[in-house]
Amino acid sequence: MATEPQTAAGQRPVEALAAKLRRRQVVGSRETALETALVLRQVVSKARFQNINQLVEIIRSVGQKLIEAQPKEHTVGNTVRKLLHHIREEYNNASKGKATASVNEFSIANFVLQGQPRRQIAALKGESTLVLKEDDLDDPDSFARTLKPVVMEAIQDILDELETVYDNIGKSAKDHIHSDEIILTIGRSKTVETYLKSAAHYHKFTVIVAESGPSYGGHDMARSLSSSGISTFLVPDSSIYALMSRVSKVILGAMLFLQMVASTAARAHSTPVMVCAGQFKLTPLWNLYHEYGALDFADPSSVLGFEEGELVDKVDVVNPYYDYVRPDLVNVYVTNDGDHPPPSMYRLVKESYDDEDNEF
Amino acid sequence: MPIPSKPSSTSKVNLEDEDAEVLQAVILADSFNKRFKPLTVDRPKCLLPICNASLLDWTLEGLALAGVQEVFVICRSHAEQVKAAIQNSKWSHPSTGLKIVPVMTAKETFSPGDAMRDIYTHGIITSDFVLVFGDLVSNIRIDEVVRAHKDRRKTNKDAIMTMVVKQSGTTHRTRPKGDSAVFVLDRDTSECLHYEPASGYPPKTLAKIPRDIFDGHPNIEIRNDLLDCSIDICALEVPSLFQDNFDYGDIKRDFVHGVLASDLLMKNIYCYIAKEGYAARVQDTRSYDAITKDILSRWTFPLVPDNNHPNGHAYDHLRGNKYIPKDNSVVLSRTCKIGNNTLLGPSTQVRDDAQVIASTIGARCSIGTGTVLRNAYIFDDVVIAANCVLESCLIGAGVWVGEGSRIGRGSLVADGVKLGPGTGIKAKEKTTPMIGEFIGDESDEGDVDSELEQAEQCQPSLSQSLGPNSDAFVWPRRVAQRNGEDRHENELESFDNRRFMRLGDDFADLDLSDPGSVTSEDEGSSESDGDTVPQNATVFSSATSLPSAPAVKAVSAGEQEFQTEVRLSLDRAFSEGHSLDNASVELKTLRMASNVPLRRVREAVVAGIVENIPLVEGAVPQRAQIKKWVDRWGDLINLIGGVDGVETVSILQHHCASSTRFHLFGQILAALYQNDIVEEDDIRNWHVQPEAKGEGIKNSDLLEKVQKTWIVGARMIHQLNEQESDEDDDSNDAESEGGDSD
Repeated sequence: MATEPQTAAGQRPVEALAAKLRRRQVVGSRETALETALVLRQVVSKARFQNINQLVEIIRSVGQKLIEAQPKEHTVGNTVRKLLHHIREEYNNASKGKATASVNEFSIANFVLQGQPRRQIAALKGESTLVLKEDDLDDPDSFARTLKPVVMEAIQDILDELETVYDNIGKSAKDHIHSDEIILTIGRSKTVETYLKSAAHYHKFTVIVAESGPSYGGHDMARSLSSSGISTFLVPDSSIYALMSRVSKVILGAMLFLQMVASTAARAHSTPVMVCAGQFKLTPLWNLYHEYGALDFADPSSVLGFEEGELVDKVDVVNPYYDYVRPDLVNVYVTNDGDHPPPSMYRLVKESYDDEDNEF
Repeated sequence: MPIPSKPSSTSKVNLEDEDAEVLQAVILADSFNKRFKPLTVDRPKCLLPICNASLLDWTLEGLALAGVQEVFVICRSHAEQVKAAIQNSKWSHPSTGLKIVPVMTAKETFSPGDAMRDIYTHGIITSDFVLVFGDLVSNIRIDEVVRAHKDRRKTNKDAIMTMVVKQSGTTHRTRPKGDSAVFVLDRDTSECLHYEPASGYPPKTLAKIPRDIFDGHPNIEIRNDLLDCSIDICALEVPSLFQDNFDYGDIKRDFVHGVLASDLLMKNIYCYIAKEGYAARVQDTRSYDAITKDILSRWTFPLVPDNNHPNGHAYDHLRGNKYIPKDNSVVLSRTCKIGNNTLLGPSTQVRDDAQVIASTIGARCSIGTGTVLRNAYIFDDVVIAANCVLESCLIGAGVWVGEGSRIGRGSLVADGVKLGPGTGIKAKEKTTPMIGEFIGDESDEGDVDSELEQAEQCQPSLSQSLGPNSDAFVWPRRVAQRNGEDRHENELESFDNRRFMRLGDDFADLDLSDPGSVTSEDEGSSESDGDTVPQNATVFSSATSLPSAPAVKAVSAGEQEFQTEVRLSLDRAFSEGHSLDNASVELKTLRMASNVPLRRVREAVVAGIVENIPLVEGAVPQRAQIKKWVDRWGDLINLIGGVDGVETVSILQHHCASSTRFHLFGQILAALYQNDIVEEDDIRNWHVQPEAKGEGIKNSDLLEKVQKTWIVGARMIHQLNEQESDEDDDSNDAESEGGDSD
């Protein structure tokens, strides 16, 4: 195909990000999602396509490469899925005016979507002359020319959402945290940090931070919270169970250590557990593996020093990055879209992604 | 006009390079030893797989992780294969951001040193570079080390090298027992002050540390717990130093040791003690075993099979560090047992009741019913029939092992060997395909021939252990030939030491007087009081660096030649009025050329100065002459390398005592003192030495003169004492009157 060299040029940022993901040079969900969106923008701006399927295929192949590079970081796939969802939405809206009905099958996903007011729709409606000419032989670029600005806008929306995610999550904080409550959190999570800080504007409460070994992210978390005037205790992980009877709420960030321990302890004391996470962390994928497989394992050096020569040979160290929290242990999910009880989470997922994109 | 234009264009390129700061790396893709033979008979060592990716891939991934942009791969044996492997790998893809240039070297490159000289002659290096071997597994952020190195270079141009080391403890599995070292470091700057190579056998019980490093370095660490990661950041000077010193072979044992021990080069080498990250070299079969275990237990994270496998395989990581390919191509029987720390390659089949424990298995292998693999490392396409037992062994690609075979600890089975049913390979044996297929490494053909002859003699008895339908040639176990062998092999490659590098050898029969405890004891005592000089270290260094009766000793022909040369060069310098710098450079070169101790040069210089002072009548004009001469040339004594006033005085004494210019001793000594060539303390220290009084001198005439000079010295010290008390009085009285008292 004549477009081959161009797509090759477009592949370079994809390969670069894939290598970075593999080498763990990009870590953290938000960071990864941002990088993915930026790469997608580069790819789309360079891509040449004549119909919607080609465009979807290009984006899917990018998604596939990036997910292969780091299958454990779900935000990569989520960002790609979300973009695909936006593109289809735009496309459907634009082609609705035409006599031909949408070829997309009628799934519950777009069923729900029909009722969702979206900003782009308003923009599109003003531009009612948006005519999509697919597979136009005289002017093969016409389709790309009309659709590209819309797609770029959609990517920009994703980027904006990622940038404002913390503020939006923080909005509902004052309704969930009340005065004189004792909140338990574990380790460091930027989301939970902003959440608690924005609640602190309205109420006075106490936070207990478990230090979360062996990374001890809790240390930074406690320092940051207490510097913004929240009364904070730093406790070792082992005392979580003992303290749980005093705790009125457990707030966790998605992707953290040791959540299992805290949430089972919370269940034993019937303490409500809240999970704060940006919507971009929601994934339509199932945890197909056992509890263990969703995890990521780092090197043992933070648990057992390399200099302990004699032990290294005899001890197998397991040092997980994250822990898997069973859904039945969580009472409320707080996202930048608002609060959701666990039973309605599926709706959020359906709204955000298309079913056909679950597997690339 | 083409000649002036050319250098200007190249300099422009260099400038651009400096702007871009391209980080270069050199991979020595040859081991320069035969520790993996016979697996390396028809493929280079750097293409041996470890955890199903070639060593070179691991190395390149480690470099890419560290942001290296340009890599030169120096290949020697099977260079074409290395080249092809690079071309076919993902690294040739432009998007990897890695530019790989294979460089072929001559077959005559026998050591890393030769390779470095080759690098120098090729002139491919443009700035400070990373030097690694093609068998490195690393996740260390080398770019941080390079930054530290470059920062140091800004203030100290002589810091030519930074070695990456990692604290590992004395008995770590990854720390090579047969080839380790004692590092003497400055605790504050981690400058490496001394490097003492150590081998496993004979065990090292004593480290000799030159005493002069204790001056100026109050905080010293003597460490025997560092794992040498074999990542060296080298300045441009390093290849040229190899070029200058044609006898440097090994990078650490010769170059680092040599540079640090030399008092002429005045170069510094630093260590970077890596706190985070992992790096180790697969130097031998033992470290192959250790590093495989390290990779499987995720020390190399994020460079682990399930995350960033250098060969692009995708593995699932299961509880207990088991790695199973993601593509569902593996067939595991319901009753087979997969133990901890195990890696199975794609399309491998493990049948009923087979056990795979702490082993790695390549792609497309088949493990038969009831077979047990323990610590076995199996390459691609191997078929192992039912009821075999394989322990601590390396099995090459395409090997076929018949039913009921047993392969003992430490055996190496070369690629393509067929072992018939019921074969029993005893521990530590190596097998290769039939002789016809065996092609030795061309470089050591003679060696192979003699070994082959020997092997053929024992073949009838050895091949009894092979089952029917075997296509194999069993190499006899080598027995230690303690006397004969060590003649042509160095300590490192001696038979007993090589046992420390071998898989599955517990060296139970080696006589080891517990080297660990002795060295660690030393370490403990010297670390606890870092600024005192360890007792045995001083004793030994003084014994080696200070020959006791220098002048009267018979000199070898080489030294005689050196002495004439030095005399001639000094005469030339004196008569033609060379500058001090030029004269000292000339002397340094002479000294390097004939490899004599520094004291000899000092003797020659002192003698030259003393003998060339013009003799005049009368004490006062004579003193003026001496002063003039010492003013002009005296500094040369200290410029030839290292200042040692005590030695200078004692040489002067011995020279004067045996010369006709005996009467000048006092005046010359005074002149040297006036010119600060010797200090007051030096004279005092010399004076209390027993040799200064002439102890141990048999010749009565000489003894008398020596004693006389000693008395002269005593008088001078007396004078100095008086002067000191005068000065004290003066300063007490009035400072302004100081000029009058002179």
